[in-house]
Amino acid sequence: METITVKGARTHNLKNVDLVIPKNKLVVITGLSGSGKSSLAFDTLFAEGQRRYIESLSTYARQFLSVLEKPDVDFIEGLSPAIAIEQKGRNQNPRSTVGTSTEIHDHLRLLFARTGEQRCPRHGTPLRAFTVSDMVEFIFSLGLNGRILILSEIPLSNNQQLNELLDRLKAQGFFRVRIKGTTFDLEDNPVIEFDDIKSIEVVVDRLKITTPSKNRIVESIEAALKINSSGIHINELKEDKNHFLSKLKVCPHCDYTAPDLDPKMFSFNHPSGACSACEGLGEIEAFDEGKIIAHPSLSLASGAISGWSRSNPFYYDLLTSLSAHFAFDLDTPYEELPEEIKKVILHGSGQQKVEFRYRARNGGSKQEVHAFEGVITNFSRRYQESNEPAVKDSLSKYHQYACVPRM
Amino acid sequence: MAEINNCSISEVAEFFEHLSPKGKNEVVSSKIVQEIRKRVSFLIEVGLGYLSLGRQSTTLSGGEAQRIRLASQIGSGLSGVMYVLDEPSIGLHQKDNQRLIHSLKKLRDLGNTVIVVEHDEETILNADFIVDLGPGAGDSGGRIVASGPLKTIVSTNSSITGPYLSGEKTIFKGTQKTVTSKTPKIELVGAIGNNLNNITIEVPVGVITCITGVSGSGKSTLINETFVPALKNSLNSKSNRPKNYEEIISAGNTKYLVNIDQTPIGKTPRSNPATYTGLFNLVREVFSQTPLSRERGYAAGRFSFNIKGGRCEDCQGEGSIRVDLNFLPDVYVPCDTCKGLRYNNETLDIHYRGKNIAEVLDMSISEAQAFFSAIPAMATKLTTLADVGLGYVKLGQSASSLSGGEAQRVKLAAELAKRNTGNTMYVLDEPTTGLHFEDISWLLKILVKLRDQGNSLVIIEHNLDVISRADWIIELGPGGGKYGGNVTAVGTPRDISKTNSATGDFLRSVVLDQI
Repeated sequence: METITVKGARTHNLKNVDLVIPKNKLVVITGLSGSGKSSLAFDTLFAEGQRRYIESLSTYARQFLSVLEKPDVDFIEGLSPAIAIEQKGRNQNPRSTVGTSTEIHDHLRLLFARTGEQRCPRHGTPLRAFTVSDMVEFIFSLGLNGRILILSEIPLSNNQQLNELLDRLKAQGFFRVRIKGTTFDLEDNPVIEFDDIKSIEVVVDRLKITTPSKNRIVESIEAALKINSSGIHINELKEDKNHFLSKLKVCPHCDYTAPDLDPKMFSFNHPSGACSACEGLGEIEAFDEGKIIAHPSLSLASGAISGWSRSNPFYYDLLTSLSAHFAFDLDTPYEELPEEIKKVILHGSGQQKVEFRYRARNGGSKQEVHAFEGVITNFSRRYQESNEPAVKDSLSKYHQYACVPRM
Repeated sequence: MAEINNCSISEVAEFFEHLSPKGKNEVVSSKIVQEIRKRVSFLIEVGLGYLSLGRQSTTLSGGEAQRIRLASQIGSGLSGVMYVLDEPSIGLHQKDNQRLIHSLKKLRDLGNTVIVVEHDEETILNADFIVDLGPGAGDSGGRIVASGPLKTIVSTNSSITGPYLSGEKTIFKGTQKTVTSKTPKIELVGAIGNNLNNITIEVPVGVITCITGVSGSGKSTLINETFVPALKNSLNSKSNRPKNYEEIISAGNTKYLVNIDQTPIGKTPRSNPATYTGLFNLVREVFSQTPLSRERGYAAGRFSFNIKGGRCEDCQGEGSIRVDLNFLPDVYVPCDTCKGLRYNNETLDIHYRGKNIAEVLDMSISEAQAFFSAIPAMATKLTTLADVGLGYVKLGQSASSLSGGEAQRVKLAAELAKRNTGNTMYVLDEPTTGLHFEDISWLLKILVKLRDQGNSLVIIEHNLDVISRADWIIELGPGGGKYGGNVTAVGTPRDISKTNSATGDFLRSVVLDQI
């Protein structure tokens, strides 16, 4: 079938239209604004294509999809599966970006995670993790015929366990331990007189680096890693030089370690990658002083803060009582007020109670003593408490999206 | 990561072109980089090279979002599908538009049927098959005037599109005002926002100035983010925004600035063309004056769907109730109580000339124009709305369902209905979006009228017909993103057509045809 045939389309303002459109061609529908172009293209052709597709699904799947209205058309023949690329209905989620919707962002994350190099933030040197063969290579790089200890660290919580631990190690067939740099022979049943021992190192092997001993080195390293999987210590006996070969990524100069890179770390939508202040949105919704104080050159009485001037009796009463308490003049231009006063006006009087006098409608007045909440606090409270979209809308005028630079 | 996110797509493409990782990384990255390169190149193909990857989807224009989807569709390589597109050329400079048409043809050549709703001349001329609907809008439309290849359309007498395509009819052309060295000019010195390279422009007062340039060349940055706030500052002398320019020297009699952009006229579904233009106040007034409502003591507030009293309380006057479906998009169902009419029955009892308030809100602007013709204040407002090509929009259509172009024209109409000052600077961002040739003619007439009343206009525009009818053109370029940000040409359309700039090339044919 080489054509799409439409007969008797009456959607919206279409006047019983018959039409034959060739397939596999670039077709343009044109006409005045409101002449029915979209009614024909979207509400008839696309809607019918979509509807037929949904009808072909099982009833089970269909219950999750909204039922589309059947377009008002006598018959359409030769429809292909339809995909609409509309301008409306774009994603309203602030977390969606050009990068995420094209999936380029996902690929970039992968690229950064897989090919990134981790460096120590203090020394700038690349972090390094050792595999067993890396460790062997490292040991051989110390020079043939050197004598070394291969040690494994065992953390300790308190002194009491120490003797038990030593007994157990002895039973397992280990001969020596090193505690705070001193080597003890387990056979001698040593008396150890250190307080605050945090960890001991058990000597897994003592050997000379030679080519034939390579297998023994590998076995010893693996044995040492069985005791502590995070890495092994090497001691060069001649110079008494210590090396820590870590299985986790670690800075060779300090103990800085970092977990392996993961694509989610490079996502601003995942807690492990996103800035904690703005949760990865790059901006924070907050009331902006500059927008609330619309006219800093005016006085409070004449409307420095819109809505809080003389024309609004309630808020003006608040300000009058405030000015009596803190001794400032409502007729001073806002920008000339002292900083403390400005702070009170915007952020409230805190613990300090102020005597407020409210005029009632009948001409009388009422007195109350309470703290002043502050204009910004008032706005954000009303913004959060209100359910009326109109109130939210009018308050959001004072909103400002601030970008928070953070390392 | 953040750095790449802030780069434009063209820069990303370049970065990955030169990226050659070594050793183990080469194997790991080759596949990933290949994928990235592929996607990036599709985006450039549809003319989006100027966007940055970190750009939030919510801030994209409808056209941009559409082209992103188009890019991913071309990438998917499906065949035998019917694609339906809605005006993909919006916001594209002629140069980018050719690339877009190329990608549409590519989609077709993959074995797909591509149906495009479009006004752009170039796209129409490139189509294999054209359907022309009309003849008028709304009720007077809805018929197929002509269908077939270009030849058929051009030779159909009743088609309004045909004569424009064949060049028989041209878009309205007003007299052109000449800009001389004596014309007062507003000078903006040293603009440096985004990609602007410390440029200085002079905007003549009392004429129509067109700002043009390829996508991403910095037009919006220059006008919306620099010129408008700068002029606002110099007119009102207050704002604590950081300056991204050196200084602005105002001249002439410009006293007011009206920015008519494409941002929605309201965030809530409660806003609509009638409320925005103030027309609805008058409608409510009319209803409160009817005998029955005076008898019942209904004031104008009774006829508002935003306050308690006359509105349907179950949907609070929205006419529909939002149902939250968790992971699926929210669904709006018509309110059961008022059947979507937004008012309670007592209010709907009130009729004015046989229509109740809900029926009035359901009228299109053209219908309302006839209905309220006896009330001058309303008639003027409705006429301006119809004049900007919005005759088909319903009075009560919620602002959230209006397109950017429609919202802009509602604003334009609201401005036009105000008393003319003769010393206002109007700034418009692509007012021809979504308009047919005939509609553009109307719009141009209005703009010229505004100018002839002494006002100044600055228009950001790609449409060649509008550009060629401007009095003064400032072109930015030469490319997009970091390749843009310079003034590449300034002058009358005739001057520009003699230059080798991106616009000049396209303008040459138009200007030669018509002047």
